[in-house]
Amino acid sequence: MDPTSRPAVVIDNGTGYTKMGFAGNVEPCFITPTAVAVNESFSDQTRATAKGNWLAQHSAGVMADLDFLIGEEALARSRSSSTYSLSYPIRNGQVDNWDTMEKFWQQCIFNYLRCDPEDHYFLLTESPLTPPETREYTGEIMFETFNVPGLYIAVQPVLALAAGYTTTKCEMTGVVVDVGDGATHIVPVADGYVIGNSISSIPLTGKDVTQFIQQLMKERGEHIPPEESFDVARRAKEMYCYTCSDIVKEFNKHDREPSKYIKRLTGIKPKTGAPYTCDIGYERFLGPEIFFHPEIYNNDFTTPLQDVIDKCIQSSPIDTRRALYKNIVLSGGSTMFKDFHRRLQRDLKKIVDVRVRASNARLGGDAKAQPVEVNVVSHPIQRYAVWFGGSVLASTAEFYEACHTKAEYEEYGASICRSNPVFKGMY
Amino acid sequence: MILLESHNTIIKNVLTERFVKPSKIDVQFVDYDNVRFHLSTPTSKTVLVLSMGIHCWSDLKKYGAPEILEREFGEWVSNDPNLKEQDYDVTLVLDLEKIPEEGDDRDALIDHFSMLKPIILSAPFHRAYNEHSQLASKHKSTFQPGMADQAPEERGELMIIHYREEEAIYVQAANDRVTIVISTLFTDETDRVFGKVFLQEFVDARRRSSAIGTAPQVMYTTRDPPLEVRNAPGIAGVKRSEDVGWITFVLFPRHFATPEIASDTTFKLELFRDYLHYHIKASKTYMHSRMRARVASFQQILNRAKPEVIQDERKTATGRTFRSR
Repeated sequence: MDPTSRPAVVIDNGTGYTKMGFAGNVEPCFITPTAVAVNESFSDQTRATAKGNWLAQHSAGVMADLDFLIGEEALARSRSSSTYSLSYPIRNGQVDNWDTMEKFWQQCIFNYLRCDPEDHYFLLTESPLTPPETREYTGEIMFETFNVPGLYIAVQPVLALAAGYTTTKCEMTGVVVDVGDGATHIVPVADGYVIGNSISSIPLTGKDVTQFIQQLMKERGEHIPPEESFDVARRAKEMYCYTCSDIVKEFNKHDREPSKYIKRLTGIKPKTGAPYTCDIGYERFLGPEIFFHPEIYNNDFTTPLQDVIDKCIQSSPIDTRRALYKNIVLSGGSTMFKDFHRRLQRDLKKIVDVRVRASNARLGGDAKAQPVEVNVVSHPIQRYAVWFGGSVLASTAEFYEACHTKAEYEEYGASICRSNPVFKGMY
Repeated sequence: MILLESHNTIIKNVLTERFVKPSKIDVQFVDYDNVRFHLSTPTSKTVLVLSMGIHCWSDLKKYGAPEILEREFGEWVSNDPNLKEQDYDVTLVLDLEKIPEEGDDRDALIDHFSMLKPIILSAPFHRAYNEHSQLASKHKSTFQPGMADQAPEERGELMIIHYREEEAIYVQAANDRVTIVISTLFTDETDRVFGKVFLQEFVDARRRSSAIGTAPQVMYTTRDPPLEVRNAPGIAGVKRSEDVGWITFVLFPRHFATPEIASDTTFKLELFRDYLHYHIKASKTYMHSRMRARVASFQQILNRAKPEVIQDERKTATGRTFRSR
């Protein structure tokens, strides 16, 4: 059997979670935290006995290459045992630690997806601002370590657009608002090509929402063990947060009927085993609010998300702008808050309407601008839209032709992964 | 995770989830060695259909896989031609209304289903174990204890399972042992070298340590097939180059004395090829991390060697300073 007749493996490595599965499916087989727990004791030992005991070093080496865990198991192990140290290979959307990243991939392929990497084509993803060197390095690892027959490194926002491609309409023009755990990018795409110089990214991510919630809860004096507080905030965010239309009204609502709005979280203290509870109040809507009013979170960055999106579209070529306003696609786990798309659409529409009115007033009654349609698209698979787009793309026959193959790699080297066709004329 | 697990994690996860909360699903996934799975709910939410396509089904059929299937999964095998899927070999139907209550029984059932592939693949092995016991008893009855040493050994049928293209498992029973030969192909030059070192180590480890003295004997050859399978049908067509490795395991009766030990041995042998390749990749990863660490330390040394820029002012006799333009 030829590798092209088997389903391709699609792995979307995000800062917070990794989505992986086989092409042609509707949802990823695994969504697991991008975390690796490495047993540190081995690496220390090898250093101590660098010249001396050959056998000890040898056996340490034999074990150290396999003694690590990933995902939920890594989190659990690092909590219960002190010999394992936790490392997050991806930081702010970029691979930070290649050692653990390589280990992570290895474990994903062999223990989770259970396939021989030599038998399958691979589709990996990268954030739009990844330097070409990173792509090269990724290609090197995939071809050298895993001997994959073919590899395609796709750009996340393009895949997120492709995810909407099949369900509704054949639209490959749009703005992707990708709010992940570690990076937020606003990427305009025209006919499948990324408009490179209009990409904007803002320093507000899912992690900031969590930190903000953590801060609010700490200030209110909830009784949470300090080592758990980040985790509790994350759970509160994932389970109870929503977007409100008006903060003042929302505050009033909460004050009037606290029993209806205040949620309660329970947990067990890891050290003593005693249970604890805490209340989740205003942070339910204040958390997501930082995207629309960043000044409530910090003073360094105060441009709201809708302004950044508007600026991004305004900097794109003029003939694409209308189409871009019409198709604003959300992707990433931190856009999952209830009514996030409605709020974004309303706020963006406001900005656009003001501009249209101003231009009409300036022109007088001579020429009237056509109203601009603003449409923020939201779909149920938003959390893994990138993965789904990858799955759709990798199940087409053209995918196998677009891949870099092992033969090409051996002929030309890692530089084949350097450029990506969707950044036409950028590099 | 030092060992590869035998069960399929995806089946386990999906079943655990759907048994609690039935909902629509349609996933296709794979397992090692050309095994394809399709898990779907074609008719209603509570009827899960699990289909498996296995590359060597025609071989397995000859060696008793249908009986194993009947024995292990009898009540779940579907005879409904509407549910039987094209180009899959085995179809199981799980009615979620008939599964046991939450608890140990249900967990055991989930584990059992996630072991579908290893159980089916174990058919020829179990056949060989049975054959061995027949041969052994026959041997004992025909020859006197003193003569047994000189007696010609009796061999059973040589079973060939083409579990991948160009790679096969050969299983043969004899009156005193069961021989298993696994052939594997290294597509990559580096992998071949790693594989050779690893397998040689495997052979030597037995000699060095007494703790694993009871483990099956392992032999490793490249290029030419070992004597046991040299006369096997179709062996002439197998590629003979340095890329081909042959691993021979000799199992003695103690390795399959009880059903538990027997299935444990079998499951490990089935995964051996994948475990080997997994290990090769893991060693490469480890080497790479060592290399990166070394490069980083070299870079540190280089940075230390950078000459310091001397910034002292030079003055003339009258106390004026030079300024370079």
